[in-house]
Amino acid sequence: MSLHSPAAPLGAVDLDAVDLSDRDFWLEPPAVRSAVYDALRRQRPFAFFEAPAMNGLPPGPGYWAVTRHADVEAISSQPAVFCSGAGATSTLDLPADMNEFFGSMISMDDPRHAKIRRIVAKAFTPRVLERLVGSVQQIADDVADEARRTAEAADGTIDVVTDLAAPIPLRVICDMMGIGPDDRALVLQESTVILSGGDSELIEDEGDVVTRFLQAGATLSELMNRLAAERLETPRDDLTTALVTTEVDGERLTHQEIASFFILLCVAGNETTRNAISHGVLALSEHPEQRERWAADPGLTRTAVEEIVRWASPVTWMRRTATRDGEVNGHRFREGDMFLLFYGAANRDPEVFADPEAFDLARDPNPHLGFGAHGPHFCLGAHLARREIGVAFRTIFDRLPDLEVSGEPVRLRSSFVNGIKHLPARLPGVR
Amino acid sequence: MSRVEVDRERCASTGGCEAAAPEVFEVGDDGVLVVLRPEPDDRDLPDVRTAVATCPTRALTLHE
Repeated sequence: MSLHSPAAPLGAVDLDAVDLSDRDFWLEPPAVRSAVYDALRRQRPFAFFEAPAMNGLPPGPGYWAVTRHADVEAISSQPAVFCSGAGATSTLDLPADMNEFFGSMISMDDPRHAKIRRIVAKAFTPRVLERLVGSVQQIADDVADEARRTAEAADGTIDVVTDLAAPIPLRVICDMMGIGPDDRALVLQESTVILSGGDSELIEDEGDVVTRFLQAGATLSELMNRLAAERLETPRDDLTTALVTTEVDGERLTHQEIASFFILLCVAGNETTRNAISHGVLALSEHPEQRERWAADPGLTRTAVEEIVRWASPVTWMRRTATRDGEVNGHRFREGDMFLLFYGAANRDPEVFADPEAFDLARDPNPHLGFGAHGPHFCLGAHLARREIGVAFRTIFDRLPDLEVSGEPVRLRSSFVNGIKHLPARLPGVR
Repeated sequence: MSRVEVDRERCASTGGCEAAAPEVFEVGDDGVLVVLRPEPDDRDLPDVRTAVATCPTRALTLHE
């Protein structure tokens, strides 16, 4: 068994030529990204970049890229000094209501953040998810069988992303929210647009990006309005009912707060797990000895899932903004300074991970920051995502043991989501 | 006697402790963490120590 990836085929990185704000950088192969992360951690652990321009909106003042594990931890765990309320998902200085519209509680600070989060917290706990195991397994079985039928109906090939990785989390989150089968395709399409980063396959005209984002938000808001009206009439045991009926500080959430929360759950519940599964399938195909080992040993699932999340780091960064002047791990900062916490870089920090470029499904401990670092914004859906990823791969081993990646992944042109749009594969057992 | 303390300002009800020590912790229906056994006995202690060490918001303290 080899735990060593081939050394990155790269010489010294010229950091002056690197621009993390250039979305084309995020289309580079993983080895290039890793080499840049390495250079940043070693030479410029707090590197300043100009913010990317976005048509029609004034660019933000620029940001400090944080790439060392210890620095991401230090910033994340001091939410009073490094806040989320100025926006956590954009380098633009958007008005607060725009931030909340697309970020919901991700772009809020405590105490409001904590109160809003508690409305749905119970639904994402290990105990409650335990009751959901059967249905997640059923969904994965159905999706795997449909993927095989898709291959049979065509030339024996499937797209891992659209036929496997996307439908599993989509159906799970829609079931949890009470979104029916007829609306699933809409949820997938609009959440993909919201996190497209303006990728031209998803939004054809660069000039329409902002408009299309707002449209996608509006479309999901309309869906929520329809469901909200139904749930107020007839409450059900789903997340949408909780959003429209729970009171915080003696008041129901405002219409906009409910819409934002709904959008957040749709988007976050889909995009992250989908990319973790896609990256996992790709990594297992590149490391067949790891795949064999996991397929033969279900006991490896706990550590394997964590390694896939470390490896994929589906969310590339979240933003924090300094609420005062200060110093963090030797770096002096001013009030208003913007920091982007690059989780994928932290997750390959050799100070924390032995042989970080090795994909090792037995890695333990694995203190990766793929669900965020210590702090109040730690991923709400972490337990759900772990369960979905574990079930997805066990199901692939059981029902699609002949799955073979047959082409290159098509990556998403986005700095924010480490996305794979397509990953061709064969099911040779079909033929 | 050991005692578990929750920093309510920090706790975000992530359920990490519930995963590690389900006998001792449960996120309640209102999303607020309930400590089922504030004074855990010796058999609970290994799991409680794991819960304290892995809490994503560092909200737990165990006084042994």
